[in-house]
Amino acid sequence: MSSVSTCKAMLALLGAVMAAPVFAQDARQIMEEVQRRQRADSQHYEGTLEVIGNGNRIATKRWVYDRLGSFGASKAVLRFIAPPEVKGVGLLILNHTDRASDQWMWRPNIGREQRIAFQDRSTRFFGTDFSFEDLEERDVGQYDFQLSSDEGAAWKIDSTPRKTSQYTHSFLWVKKDTYTITRVELYTKKGLMRTIDYRDFEQLTGIWTARTTEIVDVTRNSRTILKYDKLEYNVPMKDADFTIDALRRGA
Amino acid sequence: MTGASVLFLALLAQNFEQRGFFENQTLFYPQDTANDSGNVVNQDLFRWEASYKIGDWFKLAGAFDARTDTHQQVERDFRLDVDDRSIQRPAFSLRQLSATFHRGFVTAEFGRQFIRWGKTDILTPTDRFAPKDYLSSVVDSDFLGVVAARVTLTQGDDSLDLVWQPWFTPARMPLLNQRWTVLPPELEGVVIVDNGARYPGGSDTGARWNHVATGYEYSLSYYRGHDYFPLLDAQLLELPFATPVLRVQRYYPEMQMYGGDGAIQFAWVTAKAEAGYFTSTTPGAQNYVLYVIQLERQIKEWSLVGGYAGDVVTGGAATPLEFAPDRQFARSFVGRASLTIDVNRSLTFETAVRAAGSFLRAEYSQAFGQHWRVTPGLAWIRGEMTDFLGQYRRNSYATLTVRYSF
Repeated sequence: MSSVSTCKAMLALLGAVMAAPVFAQDARQIMEEVQRRQRADSQHYEGTLEVIGNGNRIATKRWVYDRLGSFGASKAVLRFIAPPEVKGVGLLILNHTDRASDQWMWRPNIGREQRIAFQDRSTRFFGTDFSFEDLEERDVGQYDFQLSSDEGAAWKIDSTPRKTSQYTHSFLWVKKDTYTITRVELYTKKGLMRTIDYRDFEQLTGIWTARTTEIVDVTRNSRTILKYDKLEYNVPMKDADFTIDALRRGA
Repeated sequence: MTGASVLFLALLAQNFEQRGFFENQTLFYPQDTANDSGNVVNQDLFRWEASYKIGDWFKLAGAFDARTDTHQQVERDFRLDVDDRSIQRPAFSLRQLSATFHRGFVTAEFGRQFIRWGKTDILTPTDRFAPKDYLSSVVDSDFLGVVAARVTLTQGDDSLDLVWQPWFTPARMPLLNQRWTVLPPELEGVVIVDNGARYPGGSDTGARWNHVATGYEYSLSYYRGHDYFPLLDAQLLELPFATPVLRVQRYYPEMQMYGGDGAIQFAWVTAKAEAGYFTSTTPGAQNYVLYVIQLERQIKEWSLVGGYAGDVVTGGAATPLEFAPDRQFARSFVGRASLTIDVNRSLTFETAVRAAGSFLRAEYSQAFGQHWRVTPGLAWIRGEMTDFLGQYRRNSYATLTVRYSF
């Protein structure tokens, strides 16, 4: 898994607290192994999003996603390529190991970058069911973990963010044979907010990768399905293409 | 076709991007004004934007506009405009044509381009290379490109923007014989003749240093050139047994600006501030400070922006013979609220409230499929005739915009 999906899963890490120290250590070891197996120097894909709202209203959008680095310290640029009216809209995400990411959005019709404030990260991203925070990629070091249950083929892990987040905690299901996250349930103070399911796994350059992610906003009864095309790992990329200036240039 | 030429064409296509739209907009004005009895204005705009990249070091970008309308706001001449100096909107315009070079920490863009400075949204005092087109509405305008060379140096969290604009581009003001120019009652019966403009020679220059950090960012800017808003030179000719004639000509005062802007993220809101200190040696132009303070917050799907725009005059006397909507918007409480209803629908409200005038603009927008968008809207303007906004109180209007994007 990876990209938004990976990010999602990683960031999805949230969880209630208080567990036996041995269990907590086990859960962390599992999550560190998940992260180790997902590690790649870079990633590229073209994503197709289908947004399905309350009344079955469907909108389709496409974006190109590039990520340099892995987990906590990675940088990513996401740029819409369809539909025509949002073509060129871009989002720059600079992830940090010790805090929430910095994000800037570029809208060609305004001609100016806009910083996405920390407190606004719970907002949905362009009407999809992803929030801006869901597009971050956080390191496992930013979460506390607790093994919630052993469900045979998968571990259910409860995670709690150590840093500011819209989520109070989350449950993650990790497949034992591949160490891939297959489902995430994200909770806020008010209860279950979103669920994320990762499907259609295949191994790409040694990394088990979901080709489909489905995110459901439980409170709105809306879901977004993201399918990954042209997915590649370890593609040559440059630091200079992940700056505000590059976002403006459309690099 | 040879294999080599097929490969060449394939490479060419890979690096070529384009997009555009066709838009039809109808404006309904329920009330007549003294100089304009047109109640329905229809305008069409075709815009095509294309770019071609070679590697990551060179990009050529262009944009072309074709327009027509029913209210003589668009020229009827068959010519390609490249500098947006015409009184009416050109029928065919090269909106952008620029070449961008990038190497290491240096990005340089040459040609007709869009340059945006500043951080605040509703009014942006330091945005000195971004003239606007106010021809068909003073409360809803579109940016114009400028001919310039822009070099941006980026190092870590800092960037330095250096701009040289050799060819002046003015803001486009409303036509003198139409409703967005409000003439004083004393001019009733006087023939108004638009004598065009005297454009300044020389070039305009500017520099802006921007610093970005976690939780805040700020910049300092300097501009030396000319105001893109005009002062007006008016001469009244009164001959015996003839209708008096008022000849009006625009001219653009020399200007220096010392500016700064910043944004800080607090736990609940983002605070933004922007200010410019403007001086001029041109007789009739004032020295002043223009500033904006605003707070932003997202609450679920609502995006809320509210603030105050103010000014302080430090020298010179006020003149009625000017068109400067940015300054005249000052001393206003401004706000904007937009709601993303779902992936296809949104709702936006924008307002400015002053001591003696106000406006409220509301827009509902809905996309249909991948290409179509329909946006009905309403702008409601109230106030006293002595107020900048209030003088347009007979210009409240409804709009219907249909856009096909490709």
